[in-house]
Amino acid sequence: MRAIKGVLLTCDSAVKQILLTMNEKDPFVIEDLDDYHLVIKADEEYRVRRELEAELEKNTYSLEAN
Amino acid sequence: MEKASHLSVIVDLSPTQWHLSAQASNQYPLSIETFLSQLLAFLNAHIASKHENTLVVFGALPGKSVMLYSSTELLTDDMPPLDANSYLPFKLVDSTVVRRIMDELDAIGKLEEEPPCALVGAVTKALCYINRITHHSSTTTGVAEDPTTLHDPRILILSVSPDLSSSYIPIMNAIFSAQKLAYVCKVYGPDTVFLQQAAHLTNGSYIYLERRDALLQNLIMSFLSPPFIRKILAVPKQDKIDFRAACFCHKNIVDVGFVCSVCLSIFCQPLPVCSTCRTKFPINTLKRLNAARPAITPASSRMGVPLANLNNATMPRSTSTPVPNGMSNLR
Amino acid sequence: MPVQSLQNTDVILPQHTPHPLLPFLQSQSQNTLTRLYQRPSSCLSIFRLLGPIERQLIMNLLWLESAIPAATMSAWVMPEGKQAYDEALAVMAGLHIAPNSTVKLALNLTFKSSLRQAITGGGNTGSFGTPADKDYKRQSANIENLDAYALERWETILHYMVSSGQGQNPAKPSQGVLYLLQRSGLMNTAHGAILQITSSGFQFLLHSPHDQLWNLLLQYLHMAEERQMDLVEVLSFLFMLSTMDLGREYSTEPLSETQKAMLEDLRDYGLVWQRKVGSHSILLRWVPSINVLYYLQASSKRFSPTRLATTLTSSSPPLPSSHSTGGSRAADATGTVALSSGAAQQGFIVLETNYRIYAYTDNPLQTAVLNLFITMKYRFPNLVVGMLTRESVRKALSNGISADQIISYLTTHAHPQMRKNNPLLPVTVQDQIRLWELERNRLKSAEGYLYKDFASQADYEYVLAYAKQLDVVLWESAIKRCFFGTLEGHSNVRGFIERRTGAA
Repeated sequence: MRAIKGVLLTCDSAVKQILLTMNEKDPFVIEDLDDYHLVIKADEEYRVRRELEAELEKNTYSLEAN
Repeated sequence: MEKASHLSVIVDLSPTQWHLSAQASNQYPLSIETFLSQLLAFLNAHIASKHENTLVVFGALPGKSVMLYSSTELLTDDMPPLDANSYLPFKLVDSTVVRRIMDELDAIGKLEEEPPCALVGAVTKALCYINRITHHSSTTTGVAEDPTTLHDPRILILSVSPDLSSSYIPIMNAIFSAQKLAYVCKVYGPDTVFLQQAAHLTNGSYIYLERRDALLQNLIMSFLSPPFIRKILAVPKQDKIDFRAACFCHKNIVDVGFVCSVCLSIFCQPLPVCSTCRTKFPINTLKRLNAARPAITPASSRMGVPLANLNNATMPRSTSTPVPNGMSNLR
Repeated sequence: MPVQSLQNTDVILPQHTPHPLLPFLQSQSQNTLTRLYQRPSSCLSIFRLLGPIERQLIMNLLWLESAIPAATMSAWVMPEGKQAYDEALAVMAGLHIAPNSTVKLALNLTFKSSLRQAITGGGNTGSFGTPADKDYKRQSANIENLDAYALERWETILHYMVSSGQGQNPAKPSQGVLYLLQRSGLMNTAHGAILQITSSGFQFLLHSPHDQLWNLLLQYLHMAEERQMDLVEVLSFLFMLSTMDLGREYSTEPLSETQKAMLEDLRDYGLVWQRKVGSHSILLRWVPSINVLYYLQASSKRFSPTRLATTLTSSSPPLPSSHSTGGSRAADATGTVALSSGAAQQGFIVLETNYRIYAYTDNPLQTAVLNLFITMKYRFPNLVVGMLTRESVRKALSNGISADQIISYLTTHAHPQMRKNNPLLPVTVQDQIRLWELERNRLKSAEGYLYKDFASQADYEYVLAYAKQLDVVLWESAIKRCFFGTLEGHSNVRGFIERRTGAA
C-alpha cells in the first residue's frame, strides 16, 4: 500500500469537470476519487484556485451600461 | 437592549386621610414624611434601572390634581445645586417632588370643609400625558426602531382614602380607556372597590398592605419590574376582586340592582325611563321584577361571574364574596 | 359591565445580549471588584449594564437588612423562567455582587451600601464628579460645541481607518490612538511603517457607535494593566464620566494621578473636552516606576464630558448625526436625548430591488464606509447614489467583511421610508449578496495523505477503523479501497501500518 501526500478538493461536479479540463493542459491531479472529490499535488493548490477563478469569471456577465 | 419603560405615579395627598394614617392608634402608623421618603427611593430606583426610563408624578389634592414632576418637561426653573455625592437626575426628582408638594399643601391653607380628593382627575391627566408622549414619538420618527420609544406604560396609584361613590363612573371610564390602550394599572391602598376593579381590568395588581412601614420593599418587589419580567419573577396579586358597582341614580354601592338592557346603566330602584338612553320601560315588567327582588345576604351565592382566581398570593385579608351586578333585564 | 380583561400572555422576553464589559469585569479578582464597589457611581453604572432580571433581583435584595433563604427567592420564580433566573444568579456571582450559595442570598455588603448611597444620595466619596466653580472670565463649552468636538474626534479616528491614512482628510489621530488601533488588531503595519486596516477593522467599521466605543475602551483597559495604571482608578473614572451631566464643567482637583493622565487619552477619543492651556506652562514630573523625568504640559483645571461619555451606560445615541436638522431638544437640563431625536437621523439608506442604493448623507465617513461595498455612481450635496455590484461586494468579501455584516449595516441604517417594506430589505438583494459569498466557497481544500493500494479488503478495513478512531478520515471509498486522512493524523496512521506490516 502507498501513502501519497496531496490536497483533497471538495467541490460540486461542475467545478470538478472544469478542473479535469484544466488538468489536460497542465497536469496536477493525482487521483480522481469520485463525483465531488479530487486529490491534487500540494504545491499546485494556489495556482489551481487562481485558474479556476479566472475560468469561472468567463461565465459571469455584468451590465456595465447606465 | 430592551426598551425604555414609563411609569406614571399618582399620589393621594388628602390631608385628612394622611393625618388619620399617621395616628399612633393605628397598628402600623404611616406618616406622610415616611411615606414620601420611601416613595422617592422607589422613584429613584425606577430611573436607576435604565437611563432612558421616564417618570411622571401627579398629586391628587382636595378639589384639584396637579403634575408634580415630569421627566420630559421642566416645571421649575431653578435647579438644585450640583454636588459630587449624588446623581443629578435623582436629586432633580426628589427636590422637585418635595418642593411642589410643600407648595401645594401650603396653598390649601385652612378649609372649612375639605372637598373630595381629585383622584379621578389625576388618573385622567396621567392617561392624557401617556397618550401624548407615546404618539408624539411615533409621528416624528416614522415607524423607526427608536431605542427611546416607550413600551409598557404603567400607572401606579397610591391611595389612602376610601372609595368615593360619586367617582365610580368617571373612574370606570378612565379605566376602560386604559384597558383599550393596554396600560397596566397597579394600585396600593386601603379597601377600595373601584381601584381593585381597575387593577384587575388592566391586568395589573392590587396590594393592600398591613405593614405600612414595609412600603418600599413591597413597591420594589411588586411594581418595579416591567411586564416581561413578570413572566420570570412572579408578583403578588389580589386573589378575590370585589366587583360591586355604584348605581347611577344615587351613587350608592349596590350588590343587586336593575340594569338597562340598552345602555347597561345600573339603578338601585326601578325607573320608568332610563336616565342615560331615555328608553321607556313597561310598568308591568318593573312591578314584576321588583317583587321578585331577592333579599340581599352576603352568604348566598350568585350565578354569573365566577371568582377571579389569579395567582395565589398570601393575602392576609379576604374581601366579601364578589357579586355580579344587575341580573335583571328590562324590556 | 366589567369587560373581559386583555390577555397579555404572549409577551416574548426580549433578547438581552450581555454587555461586552461584563466578561472583563468577571475576570478581575474579588479584591479589585470590592475596591471598585466602594464608589456609588461605579455601582450605579455597573447596575445599568446588567440585564433586566439581574437588576430586578438586586433591587429586591437591596433594602433587606439580612440575608434571605435562597428557597424564598426561588419560590417567586415561574417555571418557564427558571433557566433565565439561574443564569442571572450566575452573572451576579461572577461579578461578586451576590455570592452564589444554595442556602442564603444576600448582596455584597460594599456593593449594597454604595448602591443605597447612590439612590438616596450621600456618602463622601465624591464619586459623581466635583463640579467646577463657575468661571466668569471664559466661555464654558455648551452642548453644541461639545457634540461637534466629540463628533470631529471620533470621525477622525474612523476616517483614518477607512482611508488607511491616505484619504483627503489630513487630520491624523494622535499617537496614543494609533497605538491603540494597532494593539487591538484593527490596523497593522503590513508594508513598512504605514498602517493598513485589517479585516477585523473592516468589521469594526460596520458596528454601531456604541459597540465601537466599548470595543476601544476594552482595549484601553487591557493596555492599562501593562502601563501600570491602577485598573480600579481607570474604571471608576469611566463610570464617573457616565453619570455626569452633559454641558457642565467639572474640576480636576480631586482626581488621582492616574485619572489625570487618562484625561489626555480621553480627549483624543472625544470623550472629554478640555481647554488647551498655553504651551509655555510646563511641569516637570518624576515618574518613579520607570525612573524618568519628563515634561508634562499643564492642562486646564476643569473638563467637560461629551455625549460620548455620558451615554456610556445607556442606549441613547452617543453621537448626533452630522446631517441632523437640529431635532427638537426638550429643555432638559439633565442632558438626556429628547424623544424625537436620534433614530430618525440614523436611517439614510434606501435600497431598491434593482440593487441601487440612495444614501441621503453628506458625511464623508459614511460615504467612505459605503464605498467599501458599493460602486459609487453619482454624488450630490445631500445624496450619494451607487449600486451593489458583484465586483464591489466581492471586493468587500475579500477584505474580510461577511455578507451578514453588509446586510445588517444596511438594515440598521435604513431610511424610515424603508420601514414600510416587509421584509425591510428586498429578499432578492439579500439572497444575492449571500450567493456572492457562497461563490467564493465553491472549492474547499484540505491537506493530507491518500492511502491506496491495500493488499486486501481486511487490511483496508482494519486501517480504516483505526483511522476513524483517531477521527482523521476526510474521505473514504470501499469500492476503490482507499481513503484520505488529515496531515496531523498521518504519523499515527503510518506508525500503525508499520507496526502491522512489521508484525505480519
